[in-house]
Amino acid sequence: MAEPAARPHSHMQDFEAHVRAVEEDLEYYRTKRFEPRVIHLHRRGAITFYDVIEAAAKLPAAAAATHAAQDGHEHEHDELEHRIRALEDRLDLYVKNIALTGVAVRGTRMVIDDGRIERGDYDPFFKIAKKPHHGTLAKRVAHLEADIGRYERLLAAFTEALVAAGALKPDELARQRAQIGTPSFQNGARIVARAWIDPVFKQALIEKGREAVRELDIPPGRLGKMGVADNTDAVHNVVVCTLCSCYPYDLLGDTPYWYKTEDYRHKIMRDPRGTLEEMFGLKVPAERAVRVHDSTSDVRWMVLPRRPKGTDGWSEDELATLVTRESLIGAAEALSPAERDARRRGEAAE
Amino acid sequence: MSGGDSSARSFKIGDRVRVKSANPHGNPRTPAYILGKAGVVTALHGRIDNPIDHRDIYPPLYTVEFEVREVFGGDNADRLAVDIHEEWLEPA
Repeated sequence: MAEPAARPHSHMQDFEAHVRAVEEDLEYYRTKRFEPRVIHLHRRGAITFYDVIEAAAKLPAAAAATHAAQDGHEHEHDELEHRIRALEDRLDLYVKNIALTGVAVRGTRMVIDDGRIERGDYDPFFKIAKKPHHGTLAKRVAHLEADIGRYERLLAAFTEALVAAGALKPDELARQRAQIGTPSFQNGARIVARAWIDPVFKQALIEKGREAVRELDIPPGRLGKMGVADNTDAVHNVVVCTLCSCYPYDLLGDTPYWYKTEDYRHKIMRDPRGTLEEMFGLKVPAERAVRVHDSTSDVRWMVLPRRPKGTDGWSEDELATLVTRESLIGAAEALSPAERDARRRGEAAE
Repeated sequence: MSGGDSSARSFKIGDRVRVKSANPHGNPRTPAYILGKAGVVTALHGRIDNPIDHRDIYPPLYTVEFEVREVFGGDNADRLAVDIHEEWLEPA
């Protein structure tokens, strides 16, 4: 599938499934990502609820929701699809903006109300209340529009309050906003680093693909399924798209130029091992199998590289610096600590 | 709905399958190099809702692993993993 620059007009197959997904995701992010963060920072003294109220008073007035009803059933159908798409986009933005409020207090970023207690496994009393969703599809969409509008407003007030309290620096916020708004291999680096240190996350990643990355406050994106090919001592994986250039670019950013070349797409299929060495200088020892994944628009593959040696006890952030764009495609291993340091020296010298 | 094929059946991981040589009603994006080739099912993906890329819901998708030498000949010992919709597969 040709990679569209902007989302083309498309027809949703199943409105119900899309609306239900927005309902579930929106409540998930509100109850487990956003509100615990507010309470966490409040309790650690980084901010008070009164700061949030004051910041809310300074926000511009909320825009009134406008949905001019259109005539005719076809218009209603198209309009509903349009509104559901708009909700999905707002949800993505909400998720990104929550991630921007990830302020570290005394070295600890966050607690997440996502455990067994909050699920009500031990006592239903502690279960996080679920918001009911009733009525026709159109009513549920209208409810979601109202809800997300209020959630966005509270999040905006909270963010402003963090800035006013000095917990977030405006330039740091702007820098992070630019970074987080752009799908990039940095997302992949964080995903890989988490998988290296957390076997439960790794299992979820391999089973569910992009759905699992919520755990990292990364918006999962919506381009089909993300397949995750796990590199082991027995197998090295590499990804190609023989038909065009399919890749989970909505999550991991653009591919390198060579990914789209006829040369790569042709050669890697016919002689995987030889092509890795010839094009990328990557020698895979004979005892390790090489497996090529041909991506499609429905399953877009990323490679989970092996954790380099000599990184015992490294932090997640530090480990992420070893992951390169090439290693997410399988054209390289993750960097060794020495290789990373050499690269940094090279960059500093330029 | 594309690829409606009453002969389509479900497969499980480890099944030996062969890709049909031709399937006029099947998903046209099944790569040509794999037609008629035999491999092993290694992952089940189910029906994937992907409205940004296509308006239909396609039949269930499987990852099938092939040997390079089975697909392209020669003596290469490496493997190819290709994602193929159910209506293209038959037991091998």
